[in-house]
Amino acid sequence: MIIGIDVGGTHADGVLLEGTKLVAKHKVIVDQDHLSETVIALLRDLIPEDRRQLERIHLSSTLATNAIVTGNLEPIGMLIQAGPGINPDFLAQNGPTWFLDGVIDHRGHIIRDPDTRLIDEAAAAMRQAGIDSVGIVTKFSYRNSIHERFIADRLGSRFSHICMGHQISGLPNFPRRVYSTWLNASLTQQFHRFKEAIEQGLAHLGIDCPCHILKADGGTIPFARAIEFPCESVHSGPSASVMGCLALAGQPSDSILLDIGGTTTDISLLVDGVPLLEPYGINIAGRPTLIRALNTISVGLGGDSAVGFADREFHIGPRRNGPPMAQGGTTPTPTDAMVVLGLLAVGSAEKAVAAMNSLGTGWDPEETAGRLLATFAERVRQAVAAMIDSVFSRPVYTVSALLHRRRIIPERLIVIGGPAAALKQILESCFTLPCTVPTDYEVANAVGAARTQLTAQATLYADTADGRVSIPEISCLEDIPNRFGMAEAETKLEQVIRGIASEMGMTDRPEIDFLERLEMNVIRGFETSGKILNLKAQIRPGLAAVKGVQR
Amino acid sequence: MNSFMPRAQNRTALILFPAFDWCISPTHPEREERLLYTRDQLIEEGLEDVDNIVFLNPELATHADIDRVHLCAPSSARLLTESHLISAGATLRIARAIMDKEAEKAFAIVRPPGHHAMQTVFGDRGFCIVNIEAIMIEYIRRHYGVRKVAIVDTDCHHGDGTQDIYYNDPDTLFISLHQDGRTLFPGTGFIRESGGPAADGYTINLPLPPNTGEDGFDMVMERVVMPILDEFKPELIINSAGQDNHYTDPITNMNFTAQGYARLNRRLNPDICVLEGGYSIEGALPYTNLGIILAMAGMDYSHVKEPDYDQARFRQPEEMSQYIAGVCDKALEVFANRGRTKKEALKKKVVGERKSIFYDTTGFNVDETRQYHLCPDCPGYTEVTATSPRARIHAFTVPFNACPTCQRTARNLFSAAQPVPQTITALQDRVADIYETK
Repeated sequence: MIIGIDVGGTHADGVLLEGTKLVAKHKVIVDQDHLSETVIALLRDLIPEDRRQLERIHLSSTLATNAIVTGNLEPIGMLIQAGPGINPDFLAQNGPTWFLDGVIDHRGHIIRDPDTRLIDEAAAAMRQAGIDSVGIVTKFSYRNSIHERFIADRLGSRFSHICMGHQISGLPNFPRRVYSTWLNASLTQQFHRFKEAIEQGLAHLGIDCPCHILKADGGTIPFARAIEFPCESVHSGPSASVMGCLALAGQPSDSILLDIGGTTTDISLLVDGVPLLEPYGINIAGRPTLIRALNTISVGLGGDSAVGFADREFHIGPRRNGPPMAQGGTTPTPTDAMVVLGLLAVGSAEKAVAAMNSLGTGWDPEETAGRLLATFAERVRQAVAAMIDSVFSRPVYTVSALLHRRRIIPERLIVIGGPAAALKQILESCFTLPCTVPTDYEVANAVGAARTQLTAQATLYADTADGRVSIPEISCLEDIPNRFGMAEAETKLEQVIRGIASEMGMTDRPEIDFLERLEMNVIRGFETSGKILNLKAQIRPGLAAVKGVQR
Repeated sequence: MNSFMPRAQNRTALILFPAFDWCISPTHPEREERLLYTRDQLIEEGLEDVDNIVFLNPELATHADIDRVHLCAPSSARLLTESHLISAGATLRIARAIMDKEAEKAFAIVRPPGHHAMQTVFGDRGFCIVNIEAIMIEYIRRHYGVRKVAIVDTDCHHGDGTQDIYYNDPDTLFISLHQDGRTLFPGTGFIRESGGPAADGYTINLPLPPNTGEDGFDMVMERVVMPILDEFKPELIINSAGQDNHYTDPITNMNFTAQGYARLNRRLNPDICVLEGGYSIEGALPYTNLGIILAMAGMDYSHVKEPDYDQARFRQPEEMSQYIAGVCDKALEVFANRGRTKKEALKKKVVGERKSIFYDTTGFNVDETRQYHLCPDCPGYTEVTATSPRARIHAFTVPFNACPTCQRTARNLFSAAQPVPQTITALQDRVADIYETK
């Protein structure tokens, strides 16, 4: 049995699953200042009588997201080595930052080592400022991590936590690596305290099963690993909701997932039944990062969005002015329209009619309500179309990729959230697609958290002309023979990912996808001097295989 | 919007299309790997996240876009691969970005390049088959009605293809800065090549001595290029942004730098850049391309320096500066005297010209003659005859700015021409946007 917990902004939901069967569900109000207590309170009502039956707990929490939004992050020091390129001053906005003067080039060649005096001066200044946690990022560290590790070694044991850019992601993009590293280092101590509180609570409840944390990419990591990479726990809510849809109404086709809430609608896409990922990572508090994440967009359209009518058209959201008029509010909302049309039974029907009349459309309340919801659906449809366009426009670099680009053609809508059932028919006719509203959709996020499995990603860059291979995620930098080829590279990367997975406690043999494979001859002076191989592979986000009872 | 990333002052559209799966031949300089390190540098810099910079994918040009500019034997469909249609198509996409005001500046970092491709095309010349700048310019003229365009070619090799296509067009100012043709392929680009009879003085060549560095390029920009542009007043400025003047380029002998390219670009302030040559793929291209992008975008490029850059190394000797000053004076004179030969030419009605064009990639010569039919109201139509060892072209070409009389005359001559075996008889009418063969 697995418990899934999703901590949201106001409520926290929990479910107990046996296989795919929902055994128990529970909901509590969230105390954002005491998250661990909220979690423990939920657990208390969910744990099965026979505790030995509980295999795992999966937790999607707002801890990291809250810390960022409220600016409640601990002070850290950043050591950044930019080398030639864009003026790096903008990277110093997060807090105390020291720039080092070493250079590693695009091929991972060391051009100049950093001046050790600068490192020592930075270390002394950080100690003096009481900084105990450090982030280190060098440009092109995903090609060659040696400077990051050299700088970390030089700082030695004087700091209790050091986070290096190459460990967070093997993908390129220096500013994103800087922001991810900064975020990771800034969250470390808080996450530590959270883990301790949860562990104490679990011990108190007599539970000793493993606890996994949900990530933004639709996967999980063990708590122990999350301590090292707390940034990965950011923004796990949307990923719980996507995985919940997948669990409750999974389709092996291209689909649109909508999570319609009070103020926003979250949109995500399934391609051949697999959730679509961001090309690099998620944006957090205005900062682009390399934190792997599902591609979700949030539009300011929800059941409680404020509605106005001017110039012969409806204006919906993005603001919310309190509750719908049917429930005692002062501003008309889409929820009021649903009440007028008898799609939703909340609050006062009379007040809902008054809401429609107050818009001054000149139509009768039913017509106003119908047109309002049609407009609502149309706005969502436009946002979905724009998202599909932007996915199609992602840059490609080969003739073959350009000629074989495939546009996502959705075959189905899967909708969850408060107004989901009420809007089903309107969405169907607007999108001209069948629309599924899964049962138990109110606990979709918690179910998603429970059913999610481990994910991992790693990248390999081999340069046989230089005789070296780099797998940044595991700080690997090894010599290779000149005959090292694509087959060897694939095997090596597969082994690495399997290793990461089994270290995280995965017992099944995971299926590994290769997302990128680039092989190129290095030509110097009209002769081939070697090959460059660049690979990216992952355990894709998906539902854990279920043993036992099927629904 | 996003204060954690820098913002481009000018909204800039980029197409970065390295065509990792295309090469002329596996060990040719124009190979798969050519833009690998440039791609790596630009992506690592985080340019995709810079506010106000947008990355676009190329599209495929159509054969009609090619035939608007070129006379291909046996045909554009037979000569061009998809890669050529993509690199040409990329320029059309960025042209639209500029003309539709999606962006204020645009740069197509694509391959294969195009500036050695002449109006007649029998194969690959200087790594080029079709002239991607000319295809873009005629597309812009066709769809957006732009007339006056300036092309500034800063590739180390003379842009002989672009010169050839616009040689008799007074509405296209072509300025080429390059290593002296006595020392480098294609062996042309001397000051005396100054335009056809209807456009004399609108082709400006600036042959620079080997080892010219930042000072020399600065001088040419300041004394010649900028003043001429100010006077010509183009509606669009295009930079054929070859990057092989770089001190590390393996197939040229110049001393230019990433800082120099960035500064040149900031001063030139082009609407559109199109990558041409540049074969120092590790030591130069990642830095020169980044420098040019930042200059276009109005961003700080002061940190874009090659790892081994040392300005002092590239000071040029005084006598070189004097020599370049002489080149500048002569070029200015060419422009000052522009348009003077047309009156004389009009008396003759038809002016003939003959040249031999060498196709270096597979090694053959084309013998070409042109008859410029002059007209007091327009640049006139041209009759082109070109013969390669395998094929022959006989064409009547009508420029976009031709008058109705010249257009009609060319059409009549084409209709009257008898088809000849092994010969492509063509009418290329850019006014009506017609390409016909028989």
